[in-house]
Amino acid sequence: MNYTKQIQDIAAKLFAEGKIDVFVGYRVNGFDDNQVPALITDPQDVPKLVFTDKSVFNLVNYLKSEHTRRKRVGLVVKGCDSRSLNLMLTESQVKRENLYVIGICCEGVVDETGQKMQNCVECAVPDAVVSDELLGTPMSGSLTLTYRVNADIAKLSEMPLTERAAYFEEVFENCIRCNACRHSCPLCYCAKCCIDQETATLYNGANTTSSAFHALMTWSLHLAGRCVDCRNCEKACPSHLPLHLLHKQNESVIYENFQEHLAGVIPEDRGAFYKYSLKDPDDFIM
Amino acid sequence: MEAEVKDQLVSIEKPELIAPPDWEPVIMGILCNWCSYAGSDLTGTSRIQYPPNIRIIRVPCSSRVDPWFLIKSLQTTADGVLVSGCHPGDCHYISGNYYARRRFLVTKKLLNFVGFHENRIQFSWVSAAEGPKFAKVVIKVTDDIKKLGPLHLYKKENFEKK
Repeated sequence: MNYTKQIQDIAAKLFAEGKIDVFVGYRVNGFDDNQVPALITDPQDVPKLVFTDKSVFNLVNYLKSEHTRRKRVGLVVKGCDSRSLNLMLTESQVKRENLYVIGICCEGVVDETGQKMQNCVECAVPDAVVSDELLGTPMSGSLTLTYRVNADIAKLSEMPLTERAAYFEEVFENCIRCNACRHSCPLCYCAKCCIDQETATLYNGANTTSSAFHALMTWSLHLAGRCVDCRNCEKACPSHLPLHLLHKQNESVIYENFQEHLAGVIPEDRGAFYKYSLKDPDDFIM
Repeated sequence: MEAEVKDQLVSIEKPELIAPPDWEPVIMGILCNWCSYAGSDLTGTSRIQYPPNIRIIRVPCSSRVDPWFLIKSLQTTADGVLVSGCHPGDCHYISGNYYARRRFLVTKKLLNFVGFHENRIQFSWVSAAEGPKFAKVVIKVTDDIKKLGPLHLYKKENFEKK
């Protein structure tokens, strides 16, 4: 998977026609061949742009930054990224007319070790669902959109309660409350976040296990039914916490009970928590 | 007798920790203004007794309850949470409790997934006319949480090692 040439051509054309003010793509990191996001405003920098299977980050996240707000933006999206873009459009966070979206039919990206990422192996929507221009051969038609239970979730759910509590206590202990998971998530766009009230209190200092519990649980529940499984949070986490477990658990509960999954695939669909059915399970309520 | 009392002070999630001997459960009750809050008022005016462990917060609707409220109360002092709202179909705002119902299920399952006993987070539908039912619900929740023991919630300094 290498669309470097096409993306450079399109970016150069867009700058020449004056259609965009800033282009958000990937460039090669200065000292090894890993890639970092690139926000390009000068057409001279266009040759820096690349796209290979090491283009891991979700660039939709940069639509919440100062550099792109109220500007015309060119953007590269993979399948999962385009779903988060779809949700941002539905939730009126960005204007579609300000965007020029280059969609990629993604064959999966690799992690630092060169292996295909787990969410890419399980991916059900590899093609960009929002795009002005689609690169590559669409493959979604050949894939089934059936829900698959994540192996980690199945394993953890079978563990006894005390073991699970001990496992997650370790996870919360290792959290350093840097909030990188929140900042790296395209769908966490609130200017003021409710979990920051926690850090403001002297009573319960910034970096305790219980405050990490509070922050991660609130964060994952505010993303329940909206998470697109791009794993930007896990890539950003300096402690390598298994953050996908929380999202996958929510996803499995939502699918089993409300038959909703794959957020952001359908335009104008706001996810499981924005609708209801009279037949929703009621047996857990007294 | 001594052993029995001690067993009650052991949290089900973390059996190696023991709470102080004067432990009593604290239950956060989040009640909808239009049904359950009026229901609890009726319980009081009808002179029906219920345990004083519950601390009540009034909210405009059960859909006002962000999952954050439950997490925050468990994190700070509460050993359990009870959220109560109108019966399905009776919502003052027509459909608020249907939205809330979905969120409650996901919240309960996620907290259970990270190692909380499922009885720590309980929900009920209590209407304004169901004073005796409210008392029954509070008695049941208090009993359940007394059986589960204190919530450790990673605050090890509050507990002794066994």
